[in-house]
Amino acid sequence: MSKTLRKYFAFFALPTFIAFAISFLIPFVMGVYLSFTEFTTVTNTQWVGLANYVKAFTGSRDFLNALWFTVKFTVVSVITINLLSFALAMLLTRAMKGTNLFRTVFFMPNLIGGIVLGYIWQIIINGFLLRFGVDITFSAKYGFWGLVVLMNWQLVGYMMVIYIAGIQNISGELTEAAAIDGASGWQSLIHVTIPNVMPSITICTFLTLTNSFKLFDQNFALTGGAPAKETQMLALDIYNTFYGRVGFEGVGQAKATVFFIVVGVIAFTQLMLTRRKEVEN
Amino acid sequence: MAVKRRFANAAIFILLLILALLVLAPILVVLMNSFKGQFFISDAPFKLPTLTETADGPATFVGFKNYLSGIEKAGFLSAFGYSLFITVFSVGAIILFTAMTAWYIIRSKGKFSGALYYLFVFSMIVPFQMVMFPMSKVANMLHLDNPVGIIVIYLGFGAGLSVFMFSGFVKSIPLEIEEAAMIDGCNPIQTFFLVVFPILRPTAITVAILNAMWIWNDYLLPYLVIGNKYRTIPIAVQYLQGGYGSRDMGALMAVLVLSIIPIIIFYLICQKYIIKGVVAGAVKG
Amino acid sequence: MKKLLALILAIAMLATLAACGSTGGTGTPSTPAADPSGTTSGDQATQPAAGGELYYLNFKPEIAPVYDEIAAAYEAETGVKLHVVTAASGTYEQTLKSEIAKADAPVLFQINGPKGYANWKDYCADLSGTELYQHLTDKGLAITDGDKVVGIPYVVEGYGIIYNNAIMEKYFALDGAKAKSMDEIRSFQKLKEVVEDMTAKKDQLGIKGVFASTSLKPGEDWRWQTHLANLPVHYEFEANNVDLSTDATKEITFQYGDNYKNIFDLYLNNSTVDPKLLGSKQVADSMAEFALGQCAMVQNGNWAWSQIAEVEGNTVKEEDIKFMPIYIGVDGEESQGICVGTENFFAINSQAPAEKQKLAADFIYWLYSSDTGKDFVTNKLGFIAPFDTFAEDERPTDPLAREVSAWMSKEGVSSVPWSAFLVFPSQTFKDDFGAALLQYAQGTKTWDDVKTLVVDEWKAESNL
Repeated sequence: MSKTLRKYFAFFALPTFIAFAISFLIPFVMGVYLSFTEFTTVTNTQWVGLANYVKAFTGSRDFLNALWFTVKFTVVSVITINLLSFALAMLLTRAMKGTNLFRTVFFMPNLIGGIVLGYIWQIIINGFLLRFGVDITFSAKYGFWGLVVLMNWQLVGYMMVIYIAGIQNISGELTEAAAIDGASGWQSLIHVTIPNVMPSITICTFLTLTNSFKLFDQNFALTGGAPAKETQMLALDIYNTFYGRVGFEGVGQAKATVFFIVVGVIAFTQLMLTRRKEVEN
Repeated sequence: MAVKRRFANAAIFILLLILALLVLAPILVVLMNSFKGQFFISDAPFKLPTLTETADGPATFVGFKNYLSGIEKAGFLSAFGYSLFITVFSVGAIILFTAMTAWYIIRSKGKFSGALYYLFVFSMIVPFQMVMFPMSKVANMLHLDNPVGIIVIYLGFGAGLSVFMFSGFVKSIPLEIEEAAMIDGCNPIQTFFLVVFPILRPTAITVAILNAMWIWNDYLLPYLVIGNKYRTIPIAVQYLQGGYGSRDMGALMAVLVLSIIPIIIFYLICQKYIIKGVVAGAVKG
Repeated sequence: MKKLLALILAIAMLATLAACGSTGGTGTPSTPAADPSGTTSGDQATQPAAGGELYYLNFKPEIAPVYDEIAAAYEAETGVKLHVVTAASGTYEQTLKSEIAKADAPVLFQINGPKGYANWKDYCADLSGTELYQHLTDKGLAITDGDKVVGIPYVVEGYGIIYNNAIMEKYFALDGAKAKSMDEIRSFQKLKEVVEDMTAKKDQLGIKGVFASTSLKPGEDWRWQTHLANLPVHYEFEANNVDLSTDATKEITFQYGDNYKNIFDLYLNNSTVDPKLLGSKQVADSMAEFALGQCAMVQNGNWAWSQIAEVEGNTVKEEDIKFMPIYIGVDGEESQGICVGTENFFAINSQAPAEKQKLAADFIYWLYSSDTGKDFVTNKLGFIAPFDTFAEDERPTDPLAREVSAWMSKEGVSSVPWSAFLVFPSQTFKDDFGAALLQYAQGTKTWDDVKTLVVDEWKAESNL
């Protein structure tokens, strides 16, 4: 069958492939090339070697600051989101009335777009800080924790749903056996539940990690980097470098390439770790 | 034991109730403020609108005035139309074309197919910022910078995850069914549409939901590709921030509410599919 | 055979996609979204350029609604479709950059002076032959490059401290007032005395503060990082006899920085709002406070009239709205007037097709010479137009525009030109300066740090 099918490449795969080439493949290759050039439009370029990369790191502290802010933010949100959503999932898998309704409510924020979310939370956080006579631009701390709260609000429901599915997959026999053996709730959590939801934990960690690391819309709408770019994350810094000033397109592309490599390394490491675990099992 | 358990459940119920209210609170605050005059929002976002003059100041309730001005200033109706058009047709195109591609890749088993598969998977990890500048240029050169052309762009960007998910499912379909169809005289096109595509339905729903959530809420891609001529809802919200004279907080609140309403309605109707789809997507992705 | 069929199908599918692509471009934001007409009739795209289409990238967000009307009127009169896009405050350069690279690039855009011209050199057509340029009253105002005219100023604007005369009169009538009329306030020293006394008596005056909030939200801080900063930089260049067309402008010492601090502190400390809250305040908030009578003064220019007028519950009377100069405590400032000039110059995209360039030149001439156009300019845009096509009685009649004219012709004072801010190094400099001012207002940065930043960044950005 595969031989007959191969003749149908043009029908089955070509449309997707052309769209893919237009929106991803060609721009990606161009992007890598452009990061070594100076350009204002893509048709008029001048090779400058690694100069853009040097400028990205040494031209101003913005990029390194953004990198550090992004890392801090990612670590904090991955931990808080996963703890909270796991706890909620545990509560909502008890035999209890109303769990479906709660699940519906908790999941909902995830459907609202980042720009809209950012402005919703700007109102709430500024309204709250008003009591202390400041606003979110007062200190990078406020922007940081504001973003963490926002991300939790948005993603906890999502991750909770995945954890619930994981927990429900654990066979009742296992937990019953543990109960009969006299395991306390705590012991059965650590020895039965957690090891059995490891796949969910892996997935959720990966999803929160990449979502937080690549965050743009929420950052853009909530603080826009204020005060003085101190709450600017990588994606926003790259955007501002590209479109914020004439003559820095190459630097922006170089930053984007570095960003891509970092994300790639994270994804690859994660993949390897998961693979190894799967093999061990 | 039973009493203790019931007591614990009651405590948990109350805790969850409080949490649920906290989750809903931000949306309710925005809803409430959408009925207040624009200069009474930033200074006192947690105060209810007042119908008459109070010691604090004049009446702050303005009825649906913010909604009218928000719809007009942000061009909300056309934004809604663009968002709907782009989302529906992009998702449709993604499902049709990537399902075909995934089936082709898995069943044709060529070297090229394998390479193609890894390219699609690779595209999933590349951050948008890496390609945004050249991509918007390419889109412009090919005259794809309009609500119809952007569907091609979305097909290309959605291809990674969608091909990946469809492929995973295709692998689990027993080959015998398709072979039987072929023996009955179906060509591959007939086989795909009459036999394979119907089987792919559950995955198609998942793919549709994940892509719809992404495309409906996407800001940067449509902004860069078509943003100055055609505003989708997220672009319209951002535009209210300064593109149209001064920022009118009242109009912003109203537009925020308006942009949330369709999502909530859609969610309440398709809740089951959405949650299932997300779980399935996550497990496979 | 089957293979061929498959290929044809695939091509057909792509062709429909591509065909849709090339036709959708004729839509505008106002046409209903999902209008699929473009997808079915492929011949629409090639409709004859009866009037043609002209793309203008507008800089001023406050006039965006007026341009919708202008576009409709222009199309009705000439059949030319005017497509106007307005960049959000503080994002003009980046919007222009992403737009100009497109196939359908803006034909008419604007540069903000010699610095803007340096960035857009490759795109600025020579306008010396255009009709509008022939009518420019003072040819010296245009941006030139050798024999070429590359930017035509399209508006003359003035800014200073706008005050509500009713509140001032109320103050002057109080016992122990530090002054009895506006004529006495001719220096920073006196202004400070009066303002601080007014703050002490704000309850009697029925105001929340003397000055409207100092908007320092990013993108909303141009009144401070550009307009107010024009004064110290202007005085510095004047004191050192710097020729603005030379490289000597690439470095400043900010020697009048403390004068800047004088007035900026006065704004912050006598305001309606706690300085810590300024990071989310915007220009519109300040203008609303002024319109609602919550404050007596606000620094802004005559373009702000529409923002005062449109506020609901507006309590300030037209005849009470006046200008006074921004005193910063330099010697001889008694004879200082308000700041008058422009940073708005029309430029035409030299890389656009010749017929499009012609359309752009025709449009700007129409706007500033036809009756319909002039009516928009004078009455809706409120522009003081620098062209001789306007008669004396065709000046804007709003109170702020009249005040600008009054100050320009006032005996014994001379206006401060905007020339200094035409050499401000870049938008990045302005943004960073604004961010530093916010941190200074919030108390997280010292004034010395702000000064250092101004000096260092000016130099760094000038030498890029």
